[in-house]
Amino acid sequence: MSAIIEAKNLTKIYTNDGVETPALRGVSFEIQQGEFVAVMGPSGSGKSTLLHILGFLDAPTSGEYRFDGKAAEEYSGNEIARLRNKKMGFVFQAFNLLPKTSVLENVKLPMLYSDVPEREWGARAEKAIASVGLSHRLNHESAQLSGGEKQRVAIARALVTNPQVIFADEPTGNLDSKSGQAVMEIIQRLSEEEGRTVVLITHETYTAEHAERIITMHDGTIASDEKVYHRHKATDGLIK
Amino acid sequence: MIFSHTFKTALTGLKTHKSRSALTILGIVIGITSIILIMSVGQGAQNLILGQIQGLGSRTIAVIPGREPSGPSDFAQIFSDSLKERDLTLLMRKDKAPTVAEVMPIVFGGQTASYGSETYRLTLFGASDLISKIFDLYPAQGAFFTEEDIRGRADVVVIGSKVKDKLFGQSDALGERIRIGGRNLRIIGILPKKGQVSFFNFDEMALMPYTTAQQYIFGIKYFHRFIVEANADDAVLQTVRDITSTLRESHNITDSAKDDFFVQTSADLASRLATITNVLTLLLVSVAAVSLLVGGIGIMNIMLVSVTERTREIGLRKALGATDRDIMRQFLFEAVMLTAVGGVIGILLGAFLSFATALVLSRVVGLSWTFSFPVSAALIGFVVAAGVGLAFGLYPARQASQKSPIEALRYE
Repeated sequence: MSAIIEAKNLTKIYTNDGVETPALRGVSFEIQQGEFVAVMGPSGSGKSTLLHILGFLDAPTSGEYRFDGKAAEEYSGNEIARLRNKKMGFVFQAFNLLPKTSVLENVKLPMLYSDVPEREWGARAEKAIASVGLSHRLNHESAQLSGGEKQRVAIARALVTNPQVIFADEPTGNLDSKSGQAVMEIIQRLSEEEGRTVVLITHETYTAEHAERIITMHDGTIASDEKVYHRHKATDGLIK
Repeated sequence: MIFSHTFKTALTGLKTHKSRSALTILGIVIGITSIILIMSVGQGAQNLILGQIQGLGSRTIAVIPGREPSGPSDFAQIFSDSLKERDLTLLMRKDKAPTVAEVMPIVFGGQTASYGSETYRLTLFGASDLISKIFDLYPAQGAFFTEEDIRGRADVVVIGSKVKDKLFGQSDALGERIRIGGRNLRIIGILPKKGQVSFFNFDEMALMPYTTAQQYIFGIKYFHRFIVEANADDAVLQTVRDITSTLRESHNITDSAKDDFFVQTSADLASRLATITNVLTLLLVSVAAVSLLVGGIGIMNIMLVSVTERTREIGLRKALGATDRDIMRQFLFEAVMLTAVGGVIGILLGAFLSFATALVLSRVVGLSWTFSFPVSAALIGFVVAAGVGLAFGLYPARQASQKSPIEALRYE
């Protein structure tokens, strides 16, 4: 196994009206290919900032970040766009589906920016939708879906370009526990059956314990970084 | 990202905000409509004027005293008494100007005519008996003056229909005497109502032998114009040369810059008037272009609002792999599509309105107006509309493309 994500002493300082707010104060870790890591911590601990940096959505103030063996600053703007498109899949707390657009079109969206030939779009999107169990919702508009279904569409969208790494930012944060369980089941499967690297941000210990490893953040630093010995299996159903 | 996808994405973007899109293009629609309308009406006016000049005949040449105006400030009508009786005689000599068929001298000026207690301000037009032939003009009652009337400086006059109405009303005018410039003139002819003919409104004129007008009314020994007819269409240029050399000789002029007359053909006049109508059209079009500018700013405004509103969408697209260029293209395309559609609507609306205008002018006003729709105008309209979209969509599209995805995704 080789490290796909390497972070060395990452810091991030937000400056607002001259007031500096540090969000990350020197964070170092590695994530191996195929690993399922949860980043946990209370709000304001810097976990979202960390995810944004890892997903090239934001740049660190200092420190070194290497993705796939290459330093972040060596990627050009277009290379980063291609990276997000081909190697990364994002799942957000707020789903971020396009309104007034069908499930199928939503899932096709990343391919619009890819080099996948158009004739394959339909089949690939349908396959991704099937993998999250929503084949019967193909032509529904996103607004007609429940929260859990929306998040599953978002996962299908993240998967459609077959990325190596899935970044999930509080994917169950807006869902009831049953829908959340269904989403976690899919995410766990991505890691275990498909061998994808998963970085999951959450503030719930229960959700985090679906991962193999938990990085706990506190005030912009890593408080602990431990393997999970008693993993929850989402397929086992809800633990009350 | 492939072109057709950019197109589809932009179309979807616009469809999601139908009424906003419609309101946004209103400015462009109005701008393009007015440009098309102005260009079409301008073309129609030009056709009308040129048609009237052609009505004069392409062999008709005017000799005008003074120096040819070379610019808008050059109004100096010096040497305005340069055309004399001797010139008239010379121009009619076959050895001097063999291609000249006819020469008609003209004098004219504003005069007041009175009959009993009625008075009317008219244009008095002194001409020869050729006037009937040159202007294709025949009295409805009576007849024109003859060569004898001209030689004898007869006190006779032919009046236009409006002059007759104003002075006589319904009563008979033929044979009556009216007073113009202190002289009693017998009415020998009344013209039919003709309206405007080649810049002259004969309805408001009194025509008389030029000899009488020169001696008794205006008290001058020169002419205001010579109207010359060449004997063939292809002899016009030769005739112009002959007239010029004959008059220079007669006036002892060796330097053409010191000419005290100038010669104008129908073609000269046509091109001169075409230039004037073109300049007028251009002027009006540039006024209409201001509305396009305003429309363009409207587009920019709405696009900026749209960009802010769709920050989330932009962020998402970037997270999914859209490059800055993809985003820029999408928003630029939306702007261009908006204005192009506005342009097409404007072209159709402009065509419809100019057709309606043509209909009103020809049926109601009675001008010999023909509807003309310059294809170039439609083409220009479309290109300009799309160009406005491109120009004013650029800034909002740049704003959109430069949004950082994280800012965009955080935006609630």
